[in-house]
Parts: sequence; structure tokens; C-alpha cells
Amino acid sequence: MSDDISRWSDELARDPSSLVFLQLGEALRRRGQLEVALKIAMRGLDRHARNVEAHDLVARIAVDRRDFARAFDEWETVLRIDPRNVGAMKGLGYVAFHQGRIEDAEHYLTKAAAGGAGPEVRSALETLRRSALDGGAAPIPMPAPNAPSSASDPQYLFADVLPDEDQTALLLDPSGLVMAGVYLDADGNDVSSEIGARLSGISDEVRRSTRHLDIGAWKAITFETHAAVVAMAPTADDHLIVLAASRATPLGLLRRLLDRCAALAADWIAGAGDRR
Amino acid sequence: MTSPFASMLEGLTRQRGVRASLVVSERDGVIVDASVRFGQDGDRVAALAAAMYRKARLSSRAARLGAVSFLQLDAERGRICAAGGAGDLVIVVVTDPSANVGLLRMEMLKTLERLA
Repeated sequence: MSDDISRWSDELARDPSSLVFLQLGEALRRRGQLEVALKIAMRGLDRHARNVEAHDLVARIAVDRRDFARAFDEWETVLRIDPRNVGAMKGLGYVAFHQGRIEDAEHYLTKAAAGGAGPEVRSALETLRRSALDGGAAPIPMPAPNAPSSASDPQYLFADVLPDEDQTALLLDPSGLVMAGVYLDADGNDVSSEIGARLSGISDEVRRSTRHLDIGAWKAITFETHAAVVAMAPTADDHLIVLAASRATPLGLLRRLLDRCAALAADWIAGAGDRR
Repeated sequence: MTSPFASMLEGLTRQRGVRASLVVSERDGVIVDASVRFGQDGDRVAALAAAMYRKARLSSRAARLGAVSFLQLDAERGRICAAGGAGDLVIVVVTDPSANVGLLRMEMLKTLERLA
């Protein structure tokens, strides 16, 4: 894979109008290098504005970055260029579902199924309809457009627990290295490593403080900033869970989400130990 | 001589479950003024809370989240709350687990506004 990426990068440097940016962007996306992948895809899109594969690539990168609004726009563009594009219909259904627009999700998945989408789309559609009849009680296995890259990627460990776009979590090891999750800043830059390094420093201070003040082991630390609320808690094997959400998030909800992420992280760490 | 912070700090310390309230310089962890109940080491609380608050501020800056306005540490047998963001001064309160943090947070932020 690394050899391919080097080769495609060289080729693109030699010929910036080459369509090899599609392969390069996809390879980088699969490796989790989302910011670089997005830059490559956007540069390609500048030169090939009506290329549906380029719009599809940007949409799939946007889903990985949990930028569902952007993904939706890109797949809508694909459908304007190619109204029979099944991949875009499926993608729009996925995004609509994640945005809670169930009727829209059904609309797009119905179109995708009619257009020849695979059995996983028809199955999701049937479950979606049954769930609507049941009052929405049943969980729905929604076919993700990027499933191959995200299913086992630790970056997505907390994706199911944190459905809102403005919530993000990181699992840090005792030295502050990022084990799972991702932290994107307001511009979509991945600042996970920097946050990890800084926040692991706080947990050291917290340990010192609680020990010296004799107030027992620390359970959580929460701080409010102008843009967000951040909560942290210790989890298994001296790891640290960090959760950030928008200022609008009630602190009670934040603590519940923190507990869920911590439990998920503890299971994941135990599983990682078993795998070793 | 009474400092300009004394009455504010006494108001905070009168809240249920509060063991100590302090105005601290975040930069060096030195106490500017304090209202501390018997048994609390004010200097130690000030230094530790200031260091914790500073770390939170630096990590918040790294994440481009803006200034930290309120911080709360929950431990098994107590809590530390800190409010700041208006210059170098941070208000720090040490409480029992039973303290009403919501009310205390509101009082601390109001006190901070008066300090600004």
C-alpha cells in the first residue's frame, strides 16, 4: 500500500491533471489520513468538477470525518450529474438515516434498491419499514458506504455511542498516546495527538492534587470552554477517556456519555489484551 | 486590613459543603486571598488547582476551544471547582461530595464577573 501511495503521489506530481488522485485519495482514506485524502480529492475536483467518482470520494471522506452535511451535498451533486448513480442514492440514504431523517432515508434506499443495489440495501430497507410500523423500536443495520475501512478501525470505536456530529472522544494510553477515537477541530483538522499529549498532563496534575488533598481517587474532570464542554475519566489500565461536545450539551448527558465511552473503552482494552 | 475579595470568598465558603474558597494567580499558583476552614492547607490547594487549571487552558487552546471558564474535578471524597478566564485570577473552591455544584458554579461565575 505504501509503495502504491508513493507511486501515485509521484505520478500526480508529474501530471497534476491525472485521474490517479482518485486511487491516491481512496488509499489515504483507508489508511485514516483523512485530511491529506481530502486535500488530494479537492485538488482533483478542482480540475475535474464533473467527475462523479471525485465527488463520491469527497463524500466518503466526509462520512469518515463525520461531516454528514458535506457528504450529503457531494452525493446530491453526483445525482445531478448522474441521476442513476446507485452508490450516491445509497450514500444519501445512509446520511439521511444518521441525520434522523427516516423518510428521506427510505426514499433514497428505495431508489437505490430499484436501481440494482445489493441485498444489504434491500435488507436495511425492509428493517427500516418494519421499524417504522413498530414505532421505531427495532435497531436498524444500515449499510455504511465506507464499511470496509471503518469496521475495525479504532478511530471509530465511539461512533455508535456518540451519534451527534459535535461529540467526539479519544482513548489515551498512560503516556498520552492516542489508542482509539479521533479529535477534529472546528476546521476538521485531526488534532488527536496534540490533545492527547496536553490532556494526559492534566490527569497527572489531577492525581497529584487528589493525593495531596486526601480526597480519594479521582472519578472525572469536566471543564467548560467558550466552544465546548470537555469531560475526562480514568479507565482500565491507567488509560484515559476524553469526551468533548458542544456547549449546548447538558452536563448530565455529558457524564452519561462519558460513562458509556469509558465502559466501551474498558471492553476494547480487555479485547486488545486478549488479542495480544 | 480586609482585601477586596474577602466578602466574596466568605459568601462562597458559607455555601453548604464548601471547605475552602480562594482567589489564586493561575500563573504562579500563589494565593491572592483565601477563606479556608480548619484543616485545609490553602497554599497546597492553590498551587494544585492553579496547575490543573493551567493544563486545562493549554489543552483547550491546543484544541482551539477557547478560554476555559469553569473546571470541576470529582473525587471519591471531595470536589475541586475552579472558575477563571478573565485574566490571571482563578477562583477555587474545595467541597464535600454533598455540595450543590450547580448553585456553586453559578455563584463562582457571578463572583468572577465582579472581579473582572
